[in-house]
Amino acid sequence: MDNLKLPWWLAGTAFALAATFLVRDAYIASVVNLIAIAALTAASLRFVMLMGELNFATAAFVGIGAYATGAAITILNWPFLAALLLGGVVACLVSIVFGYITLRTKGPYFLLIGFAFTEAVRILYSKSSALGGTSGMIGIFPPAALDAWMPTFIMAVSALLIFGLYVLERSDFGKILTAIRDNENVARTVGLDILLCKIACFAAASFAAGIAGSLHAFANNVISPGDFSFLVAAFALAYVKVGGEDNVVGPVVGSVLLVILGSYALGLGGQEHIFYGGAIVLAVLALPHGVTGLAKRGFAALSGRGR
Amino acid sequence: MQTTIQLILTSLQIGAVYILFSLGLTLIFGVMRIVNFAHGHLFAVSALVVAYTVPWLASGGIPVLPAYLLSVLAGVSVAMALGFLMYIFGFRGFRRDMVGSFILSIGLVLLLDGILLKTFGGAVRPVPEILPGTVTILGAAVTVQRFALCVAAVVITGVLYLALTRTKLGKALRAVSIDHEAAMMQGIPYNRMALAGFMIASALAALAGALIAPVTIVSPVIGADYLIKGFIAVIVGGLGSVPGAILGGLFVAAIETFGAFYFDPSSASIGIFLLVIVVLLVRPKGLLGHG
Repeated sequence: MDNLKLPWWLAGTAFALAATFLVRDAYIASVVNLIAIAALTAASLRFVMLMGELNFATAAFVGIGAYATGAAITILNWPFLAALLLGGVVACLVSIVFGYITLRTKGPYFLLIGFAFTEAVRILYSKSSALGGTSGMIGIFPPAALDAWMPTFIMAVSALLIFGLYVLERSDFGKILTAIRDNENVARTVGLDILLCKIACFAAASFAAGIAGSLHAFANNVISPGDFSFLVAAFALAYVKVGGEDNVVGPVVGSVLLVILGSYALGLGGQEHIFYGGAIVLAVLALPHGVTGLAKRGFAALSGRGR
Repeated sequence: MQTTIQLILTSLQIGAVYILFSLGLTLIFGVMRIVNFAHGHLFAVSALVVAYTVPWLASGGIPVLPAYLLSVLAGVSVAMALGFLMYIFGFRGFRRDMVGSFILSIGLVLLLDGILLKTFGGAVRPVPEILPGTVTILGAAVTVQRFALCVAAVVITGVLYLALTRTKLGKALRAVSIDHEAAMMQGIPYNRMALAGFMIASALAALAGALIAPVTIVSPVIGADYLIKGFIAVIVGGLGSVPGAILGGLFVAAIETFGAFYFDPSSASIGIFLLVIVVLLVRPKGLLGHG
């Protein structure tokens, strides 16, 4: 638990929140919301990457969170905060069951099963008439008093959860995850219950993904099955790879960069897919440690500590 | 009984394409230990080229069957050229790097999706009928085209199976997929084998695309659906296993056909997912997987 770099976190969060106070334009507010939600989703994806697995079911858990919140608000008339929390809790519970079965597998099997899960869950939404079928759910509004402060609120929740994941990563639990990634059999020989640790990691990440989904539902007011295809996870992966997966700031930097550039490209009538695809391919081929890795090397070279 | 036979024949037709697809995926995984999501786009490119060149050649006065064969040649060449580019500029650097190669392939998927939509447009392309008529097998009717597709798929699978078990190249590929270091110590050039495996897989996807073009509606996103089913087939059968890919392809096709007939297509898709969960619970490496 040493050195959590709290001053940096406080400064960064304060800066992000202060920036949202200045936003009064509806379009910019929506981009800010997108960035905050994207950063949270990417942080969730990266958290499972800590134990060496690529979790494409992230997209499914974002969707489950959004739909749980949507159902709580429009069908059950739950209060705002309870509905928000429900998204995370439901995603977390589903992920425990799903993880219990699938985390016995590794690598390509886990990746592909997450992919199939995302598609299966999406078919379930579109089949369920209570959840609005293929057209989705409408009218998921935050309380009127909070309406003007949505970007600030979303940013704050997102920052809090990313910080939470960071604390977990720096704790002893995070070290266990690294041990599992490096060699899970060695970790098992010292008496660790590997499956339990993997499920815990998966559940924590899915809670964050579920909350990201809830925030998405509140930010957009409308959700439909098409919003939660595997592309959600693919885009999150783009944020992680472009930003750099070696540290927690990477996904945030990647989200800010790609969402802003992507919105700009959309405004120019550009193709979103070509843009994101090109970004991933370039990042993987040219920047193996992402933008933050490049910046780190740059600083190291400048201060004469680099190679 | 008549219905059952008809359904079995339908699953064999769909299964034939899934098998060509999953054989490619399993081959690439075996030799390079990578998961290539862009595999579906090789299939789509080949199908699109066929869908565009057949009407074009036919309007130039060439009879439909030679026109089709020419366009199959064109489609397979274009798709294989694309596969070659993907390997040389991308996957060559990511051999045996599952996460890295997967991320690269997702990037390629998005990029190619955009490019295909831009060049070919979102509209679906019908291909004129190549072989008219129907045949009757055990009282069930099948169009000649679909029957020819099945025969071609069986022949291709058979040739591949023989090549993998009998020829020097096939034996080398299998050796590499079992243990690439031991294979290299026997003097098998791993780099060349990786390229060979990737190109054979590309050719399989391209052939599948060219074969399916006349019996389906071709659009730039045609690859995605087959890709998901192909991957599920290899998970069920076991990644890296050739018989597993064949078994898995037939399994998935049978559930899809029977489920869609007795319930509805989306229940069938969920049924396929449940099947994967059950298989993974019992055998985490798939039915015939070892590695």
